[in-house]
Amino acid sequence: MFDLDPGEELALLVETTRSFAEEALTPALREAEHARGVSPSVRAAFEQIGLAGLEMPEAAGGAGLGSLARVLVNEELAAADAGAALALDPIGAALYPLAELGGDEAVDRWLGSLLGSDAVQQRAVLVDLRDARFVCQGDQLDGEVPWVPADRVDLLVLLGEDEAFVVRQGIELETIRGAGLRAAGASALTLRGAPIEARFESAAGVMRARARSRLHAASLLIGVLRAACDFSRAYALEREAFGRPIAHHQALAFLITDMQMALDGARLLVQEAAWRIDAGFPAEAEAAAAFAETIEASRLIGPSGVQILGGHGFMQDYPVEKFMREARTLSQGYGGFDAAREDAGRLLCTGPESILLSHGEV
Amino acid sequence: MRAGCSVPGRSRFCFPTERFEVDFGIDEATRELLAGAREIGRKEVRPAGLEADRNGAPLPPDHGYFTRFIARGEGRTRWLGPRGRRRDPGPRRTTVQSLLLAEEGAYWDRGIGVANPGVGLPEGNVLGLGTEAQKEQFLGSFLELDRPRWACFAMTEPGAGSDAAAISTQARKDGDGWILNGAKCFIGNASRADWILVQATLDPTKGRAAQRAFFVERSTPGLGGFKIEKKMGLKAYESTSFLLDDCRVPASHLLGGEKRHEGKAGFKTAMRTFNAGRPVIAANAVGIGRAALDEALAFARAHERTGDARVRDRIEAMARKLRMARLMCLRAGWLADREQANLVEASMSKALAAQVGQEATTLGMELIGTVGARGDHLIEKLYRDVKAMDIVEGTGQVQRMIISRNLVQLPR
Repeated sequence: MFDLDPGEELALLVETTRSFAEEALTPALREAEHARGVSPSVRAAFEQIGLAGLEMPEAAGGAGLGSLARVLVNEELAAADAGAALALDPIGAALYPLAELGGDEAVDRWLGSLLGSDAVQQRAVLVDLRDARFVCQGDQLDGEVPWVPADRVDLLVLLGEDEAFVVRQGIELETIRGAGLRAAGASALTLRGAPIEARFESAAGVMRARARSRLHAASLLIGVLRAACDFSRAYALEREAFGRPIAHHQALAFLITDMQMALDGARLLVQEAAWRIDAGFPAEAEAAAAFAETIEASRLIGPSGVQILGGHGFMQDYPVEKFMREARTLSQGYGGFDAAREDAGRLLCTGPESILLSHGEV
Repeated sequence: MRAGCSVPGRSRFCFPTERFEVDFGIDEATRELLAGAREIGRKEVRPAGLEADRNGAPLPPDHGYFTRFIARGEGRTRWLGPRGRRRDPGPRRTTVQSLLLAEEGAYWDRGIGVANPGVGLPEGNVLGLGTEAQKEQFLGSFLELDRPRWACFAMTEPGAGSDAAAISTQARKDGDGWILNGAKCFIGNASRADWILVQATLDPTKGRAAQRAFFVERSTPGLGGFKIEKKMGLKAYESTSFLLDDCRVPASHLLGGEKRHEGKAGFKTAMRTFNAGRPVIAANAVGIGRAALDEALAFARAHERTGDARVRDRIEAMARKLRMARLMCLRAGWLADREQANLVEASMSKALAAQVGQEATTLGMELIGTVGARGDHLIEKLYRDVKAMDIVEGTGQVQRMIISRNLVQLPR
């Protein structure tokens, strides 16, 4: 029955992740952005906690946790630095097409070797073909992706409408500036005659993979939005104008309230969708809706966080401009806002007569 | 590093997922409750609500809907009866269950939900603060209803709505009793109530601390001037204004007796009602919004509009917002069930859900076009009904003030 208590174990995981994020990521937020990566010691700590293979099956050296653990961990990491969260995770969302279309065997075969403490961190990257242009000729792929949040790609997983591909060779990267998430790197990716090393087909699998990918991005967004809310609220309580803290002018008090409400609501949608995935319920529409709602929240919270700091917010001395840019950047993938709404809307309109909004049943 | 188990040489989290306790599901027993409410809703509640809306007046107290309601055993007090003769309480409903039922009820007709016989709004106050003798006297006839009976709670005044601290109905000690003078308005079921719990003040200059609640029985001299208001929507229940003109009640009618009242207890009596009430109103708004969305979707399908991306987008947005509003309600209720503070969450659910409910009925109206202008479509009724959800139990603006006091210590 409805219960939001994560229980001791999950609470401990969240608490541990939060301490790590606050101690290792927050202080180095600009440093990581400039360096386009995180330091080896931070990465070692991340792996030590077991966060690198959070959702990887235990047989493949992972922690074998589910979507709910993922969204909670992502929120904690991204509340410190969403770019670093991506940089630290060798696998990220690339797991989902392999897990949903290929199963444990495919996961182990293609991703197993990426886990571990090599001197240089390897990266698997997921590209949704909705965000790119590709031509498939026989066993080869040609095409371009305008942006991937990485400076190196050891394994590329491509998610189509009813199939997924694995590519490891013929990947050309051009380093670009990146609008946000620079701690993870930023590249334009080109494939020229890249051999398809594996191909999985399943329209249902693609939908589930996309649902999990959207929740991955949405939960990072939740973290960024939380950081923006917390930082700007604290500032508004310190900064005085017209004889009182600016938070005590009702126009700002209500704005801060609306930001917090938007965050709380989106977070509940994200967690519910993750719970549905773990419980084995259909979650495609719910995950798409959760992503859309989080993006909508970010349209309010990102710019408002900057607004509350006024001129200071526009300067890079404060992190709110970074939160605004990164919230936007995280909203761009998997077809973005419109594709999420289209997927959710189509499923609703072809669904049952009454929009019961699901009481948790199948 | 603490961890659940460790792989040799490493310390990792390794917890079986089934031990996580988060659960967004609704259990079988609650789903059965909801299925029952849906059945009654379809057969009884929706037709009764439409009838009242068409007539532009509340259903009369002897209407068959009410007799069937009490015949089903509904409308009984939660009080278990006098000492020595307590009845079996049966399974207690959680707040989360009550909220889901409040949503389902409002889906079929929100006005009827308020018109239903029973103690209604003041029940929590009487149970929480009333003396044993008061429970026996005022709740006794609600243990088993021999006929449809109502009670009601009167806080709102022409000059004091959400600002509950500003009420001016005065209570003056007179020998061994109290004399009440003042005017109340927008009080649900007041003219048909056996008794009214009237919120009054001993001294309007002393704010909350001076407030008290009094039982005023229907036949009490000085209680009168009942006027049933004409409303835009929610016509199924009466919203009534009335006067207290040198209305004398015995000392035993002061809720909780004299000893109760030290410090701010009087005002807290009222606020307790509001605290429990906000998520219920929010759930009502979700129910109304959901009804509008279902109707809108049915209309779009019947008129082959679901192929239009703009229509799909709008339906998608409303389904998403309603789902979110529901989760906000359930979160507030879940906290209440755990006896954890839920002030911010309750206000958030109310502020958000009322807004979303309004948007959902608006979407419905825009989708059905001139059909909505005719004045006889269910969506048009829902559009009129839902507005009140952003007003009663504190407007959206008042909710934001409450939230701000907690988030940024907004001064009063």
